[in-house]
Amino acid sequence: MTATVPATVRLANEIAVQFHHRDPDAAAAEIATHLRSFWEPRMLTALYAHVDAGGDGLDDLAVAAARRLRAGG
Amino acid sequence: MSLLREPDFGTPAREGAATVELTVDGIAVAVAPGTSVMRAAKQAGVDIPKLCATDSLEAFGSCRLCVVEIDGARGTPASCTTPVSDGMAVRTQTEKLGRLRRGVMELYISDHPLDCLTCSANGDCELQDMAGVTGLREVRYGSGVDAGANHLDAPKDTSNPYFDFDASKCIVCSRCVRACDEVQGTFALTIDGRGFDSKVAAGAGGSFMESDCVSCGACVQACPTATLQERSVVELGMPTRSVVTTCAYCGVGCSFKAELRGDELVRMVPYKDGGANEGHSCVKGRFAFGYADHPDRVLAPMVRDSIADPWREVSWEEAIGFTARRLREIQAEHGVGSIGGITSSRTTNEEVYVVQKMVRAVFGNNNVDTCARVCHSPTGYGLKQTFGTSAGTQDFRSVARSDVILVIGANPTDAHPVFASRMKRRLREGAKLIVIDPRRISLVRSPHIEAAHHLQLAPGTNVAVVNAFSHVVVTEGLADREFVAQRCEGYEEWAEFIAGEEHSPEAAEEITGVPAAELRAAARLYATGGNGAIYYGLGVTEHSQGSTMVMGMANLAMATGNIGRDGVGVNPLRGQNNVQGSCDMGSFPHELPGYRHVGDDDVRGIYEHLWGVDLQDEPGLRIPNMFDAATEGSFRALFVQGEDIAQSDPNTQHVHAALAALDLLVVQDLFVNETAKFAHVLLPGTSFLEKDGTFTNAERRINRVRPVMRPRTGKHEWEIVCELSQAMGYPMHYESSAQIMDEIALTTPTFAGVSFEHLDRVGSVQWPCNEAAPNGTPIMHQDGFVRGLGRFVETVYVPTSERSTRKFPLILTTGRILSQYNVGAQTRRTANVAWHPEDLLELHPHDAEVRGIRDGDLVALSSRVGRTTLRALLSDRMPVGVCYTTFHHPVTGANVITTENSDWATNCPEYKVTAVQVALTTEQASVREELARDRTRVGS
Amino acid sequence: MKVYVPRDSAARSVGADEVAERLETLADGHDVTVVRTGTRGMLWLEPLVEVDTPHGRVGYGPVAPEDVDGLVAAGLFEGRGEHLGLVEDLPWLRRQNRVTFARVGVVDPRSAEDFTAHGGGAGLRAALARTPAQVVEEVVESGLRGRGGAGFPTGIKWRTVLGAEADQKFVCCNADEGDSGTFADRMLMEGDPFTLVEGMTIAGYAVGASEGYVYVRSEYPDAVEALESAIATARALGWLGDRVLGTDFAFDLHVRVGAGAYICGEETAMLESLEGKRGTVRSKPPIPALEGLFRRPTVVNNVLSLASVPMILADGAPAYAALGTGRSRGTSVFQLGGNIARGGVVETPFGMTLGELVNDLGGGTASGRPVRAMQVGGPLGAYVPATQFDLSLDYESFAEAGAMLGHGGVVVFDDTVDMAAMARFAFSFCAEESCGKCTPCRVGAVRGVETIDRIRTGQDRERNLVLLDDLCELMTDGSLCAMGGLTPMPVRSAVRHFGADFGIPEPATTTNGGRS
Repeated sequence: MTATVPATVRLANEIAVQFHHRDPDAAAAEIATHLRSFWEPRMLTALYAHVDAGGDGLDDLAVAAARRLRAGG
Repeated sequence: MSLLREPDFGTPAREGAATVELTVDGIAVAVAPGTSVMRAAKQAGVDIPKLCATDSLEAFGSCRLCVVEIDGARGTPASCTTPVSDGMAVRTQTEKLGRLRRGVMELYISDHPLDCLTCSANGDCELQDMAGVTGLREVRYGSGVDAGANHLDAPKDTSNPYFDFDASKCIVCSRCVRACDEVQGTFALTIDGRGFDSKVAAGAGGSFMESDCVSCGACVQACPTATLQERSVVELGMPTRSVVTTCAYCGVGCSFKAELRGDELVRMVPYKDGGANEGHSCVKGRFAFGYADHPDRVLAPMVRDSIADPWREVSWEEAIGFTARRLREIQAEHGVGSIGGITSSRTTNEEVYVVQKMVRAVFGNNNVDTCARVCHSPTGYGLKQTFGTSAGTQDFRSVARSDVILVIGANPTDAHPVFASRMKRRLREGAKLIVIDPRRISLVRSPHIEAAHHLQLAPGTNVAVVNAFSHVVVTEGLADREFVAQRCEGYEEWAEFIAGEEHSPEAAEEITGVPAAELRAAARLYATGGNGAIYYGLGVTEHSQGSTMVMGMANLAMATGNIGRDGVGVNPLRGQNNVQGSCDMGSFPHELPGYRHVGDDDVRGIYEHLWGVDLQDEPGLRIPNMFDAATEGSFRALFVQGEDIAQSDPNTQHVHAALAALDLLVVQDLFVNETAKFAHVLLPGTSFLEKDGTFTNAERRINRVRPVMRPRTGKHEWEIVCELSQAMGYPMHYESSAQIMDEIALTTPTFAGVSFEHLDRVGSVQWPCNEAAPNGTPIMHQDGFVRGLGRFVETVYVPTSERSTRKFPLILTTGRILSQYNVGAQTRRTANVAWHPEDLLELHPHDAEVRGIRDGDLVALSSRVGRTTLRALLSDRMPVGVCYTTFHHPVTGANVITTENSDWATNCPEYKVTAVQVALTTEQASVREELARDRTRVGS
Repeated sequence: MKVYVPRDSAARSVGADEVAERLETLADGHDVTVVRTGTRGMLWLEPLVEVDTPHGRVGYGPVAPEDVDGLVAAGLFEGRGEHLGLVEDLPWLRRQNRVTFARVGVVDPRSAEDFTAHGGGAGLRAALARTPAQVVEEVVESGLRGRGGAGFPTGIKWRTVLGAEADQKFVCCNADEGDSGTFADRMLMEGDPFTLVEGMTIAGYAVGASEGYVYVRSEYPDAVEALESAIATARALGWLGDRVLGTDFAFDLHVRVGAGAYICGEETAMLESLEGKRGTVRSKPPIPALEGLFRRPTVVNNVLSLASVPMILADGAPAYAALGTGRSRGTSVFQLGGNIARGGVVETPFGMTLGELVNDLGGGTASGRPVRAMQVGGPLGAYVPATQFDLSLDYESFAEAGAMLGHGGVVVFDDTVDMAAMARFAFSFCAEESCGKCTPCRVGAVRGVETIDRIRTGQDRERNLVLLDDLCELMTDGSLCAMGGLTPMPVRSAVRHFGADFGIPEPATTTNGGRS
């Protein structure tokens, strides 16, 4: 059951998979834009924390997007 | 206002300029070509007697009362069936005509009970009126023992819960039959027999309830006598005053005349001037208003410290004070972001606006969301990305100009019946129909309608289908290159993307199960068949790729140039009366009113200046995020306006756990709903009959909701929100809801021209309504897209993670039925239960047989998250492997089954795809017991 | 050697099949062929057996099956024995001018060769050699008027259909011959179906229609069979189909059978029925010529109108227009029935008097009693008293006399008839057959029966006579179609001419019966 996966990870992965066909840089940028537009700060905080903790189970594109977003872009 | 009687022009209006000039009794009038003499006369101010004619129906010419004389023409033609011609001189009153009309009336009355004084239609009977108008003074054909053949003993049919059919009063004008055919499109009624034995019959001669009748009321509306009469009128008598208002059921937003005696509502009569419905109605809006005075209504505020405690009725002051204090305490302890609110799509724009204002200005965060989250949030996202604004492109009337109608994931005959009737009328006129739906919805084959293509796709594969359509358009050279070049951007890249083999119909066949040839044929039809219009519903949005699909449809429409004029477009059929409005009003956590992002400093500045507070510039929590945060502990209090999230939201166990974890749950509702069982404060709400404000329907039409009666709770809902805000220390005050709309207009460019005064003057307007479009905008993106150029977005098909397994081998999809509405809070408290006393599980006979299930058996339905029981209905409308249910009854608990999966962009739940197993069962397991068990599990 | 025995259903009903069978048995071994034809329309002579002789066909009749052996023994196969003489020389036929019925009773209705040998197909060939507009004008010039009863100029109707723009047009033949005392349509369809096929094909070519329907009443199974057979043969011969007679003109025909409703003889009710709907009357406008079958421009003509067209095209409009009188051009086909000595079909140019028809041709009543009244034009036609024997049989004279020719049915009554009962019958027929759509007809017909009953039993007679007249005016001027509109015609004519039967004291002060 997916309940063991944190909600933020599940949601970020669901976004990331939509951009798998794109060039990774462009994809990460689009995902970052999406997250900035729609995610509440505490969700972003949880996502960053998960990335910091090794990003277990998190889509690579989501990791890239989170890093990019935290860096302000 | 006294009783509003709308003029009846006898025959429908004809389009075109008033170029035909004629005189009627010497009065000159000019009308459009094709207009009937009867209608022209009415326009000249001359009433010609009539009985079988009414302006919602094509002329029939049977009663022969409307005969006229025309200079230079032989005989006495019927004015209803005679079209005008230039220079015609019509006489409507001559000695001969008077004689003929009296003769006709004498025949009618010779076979009619002479009980006017005790008749339920007394005062509202066209037969009675015509007897007067024609000067009938005696009936010479005998009466009493000397009476001739008659139908005075004809039986009465009282099978329908809302209206009676008294055949003894029938004058066989066929208006009911024609209304059922022409207006509603159900063809349930007929004239049985011939000559003097002709009589109205429902279906094959059984009762109305046994027939195909959908109880829309069109026949009752059309009947000129007491033959078809609302039972409420039979029981209460004729109403004496009218209030024009807007229905509170689906997103069609029908206008009604609420007709009252004193403050007692007698009946709801569809309003001919209503832009959305033009005089038509469905069983819900027309008849199912009884919930408003149902004994279950909560009329006084209630409070309790813990959900284990019983409710305490308290004063408004105490309830509001308690709520304010607790909210502030929780914020003090857990932070500004620990509380939030949910607005309702069933309340008015004004009521929604003040709740989002309270959250942003008083709570100090953006934790406001709306129930549109769980229905049309992907529409908002998808259309904004591609067209630039979150709304359907057309008015309802537009469908009358469509040549190819693409219905995707929508079941309009059940969920949007009044619009469906318009659509069916156009289809009967010859427009082609393509249905994309796993189920064979009734539109696929109904009287005089047959879909050209029914693409019975596997649930969850919409995007593969729409991509295949676009692939055909691009690779077969069917794109409208001129439109694309002038109006859009990103076409070339998108075209290259969509031309990829993985988007071909052949590839899609593998995914969707729809034959490639059928996909190609349907795509060609849409692209080349003239005006192509897309209508869609929650079968598009409530998927893991709901937003992708919305963008896919937008791509398809742009590529074929089917945007920006009459007859085309991309149109969401909104589920609830004010989904559009609640979204427009800034209910989304990332958007201020008018779909403007909270991160936009200029927009925020407008509100900060007006409201005198600083506003958060980052998005707040969406409903599912709120539940997640509540379970995890950072979200502690929720104000829920008129939505039963405990029943309507997916994965009930998860929702219940979240609600149970809250420190404070405030519910504003008409009833102690399922959510209220977790609440600490219950603020009684008002029904639509008590509201004063506006609803915005699926075509962006802002309709007035006028108070039919005073709030039974003593307070308008917006007043409660203002008082709560004040109690929390923020001065929020409005004199009236009109003043709230003034603030909306002041701050929202698309609403700049809207005011109650303007609406009362023009009836309704479709936004954008501003200086550039003072009377609104029926069709959007005519000269350019709202975002400038239409944007093509690459829509890759990503299968949902929810798929059938050995353990859960079937796919469950959910939907609505005509007589019931949403979670049933309203309709279950009306006689509509006669049609749908319980939710059923529809499954294919094959799937049933292998499980040993027979029609009507009790079955257990289980998914990876839950289990419920309901009765099976075997139906070959379902494809093998797919089953279907509705969620109208709480006891069913359909959402116990649905999962946490959601649309990737908006978190709109994936209600339409759940892997399930179905098995025979003998225990009528109570959902509530199961939930109790689940709750302990979550808690442990 | 050929022997001719009608296969017409009227002849069959009096034993023609048995006669033919016996003849065939006896012909075995002789050089004799038994040919089944239509009927000559001399019903009192049926079964009428004809035998080829060098001078023409001689007739034997009526021949009962048991007469056959004796007649053959007496030399029937050689045209000898006691016979009626040359059939063509029988006074009944000599006084006629058979144009539309020229081949009926003469040819084998199943044989395309026979049809062609007797001049069939010439009209279609002539038509296809001209433009559609020229064909229409030829029909206009002929003066042909609708033989179904209304008498509307056929060519003018065609002109409207030709001028209408549409993706498809239709030709519909109204063969729902429901008027009591009429049978000419049936006789033509059974006796010379190829003529109708030819006429409809010409109509299709003239107006630009690609499809035609013949709507035949269910009571006419033999006619249906004859038409089906003719259509199948015509298709096989290329007279119908994608390339009619090798031209680019495509036309096909279908037979549709009604379900026993008189009202379906009304053209718009017939169209509804053809569309598969309940047979109720449509209001006009729109006229069928512009919006007919499936809302497409449609020629709706009676069997006799369409069957007259081939001769008009073959011989030219002037030849047809030379016949007749006044604005009634060409020939009309009358059907003599009721109490009549010699019933049958009489085709004659317009202008013969009613008396000539009934007395000279029909031989007066079968009962031998004096003729009292004749109902002309079907059950909705007026009752003409014997005092008007000199009335000319043409549209205008009849209209002037408050009567109508209709479809040409003449039903004769002797002096024992109760005209009030006949008037009552008119209403009760209307009540029985009304589609029920319009009020004057639906309710009025029933009230008419009741009112006449009151008059006949002397209840409030004066008052009820006024009411009856009011009702008649209402139905005439207020009904949706001719069904209700014409029902008062027999009623009013009965009251006007036979007031005594209604208890109206003689002499009536107003001889025009209160007609306004």
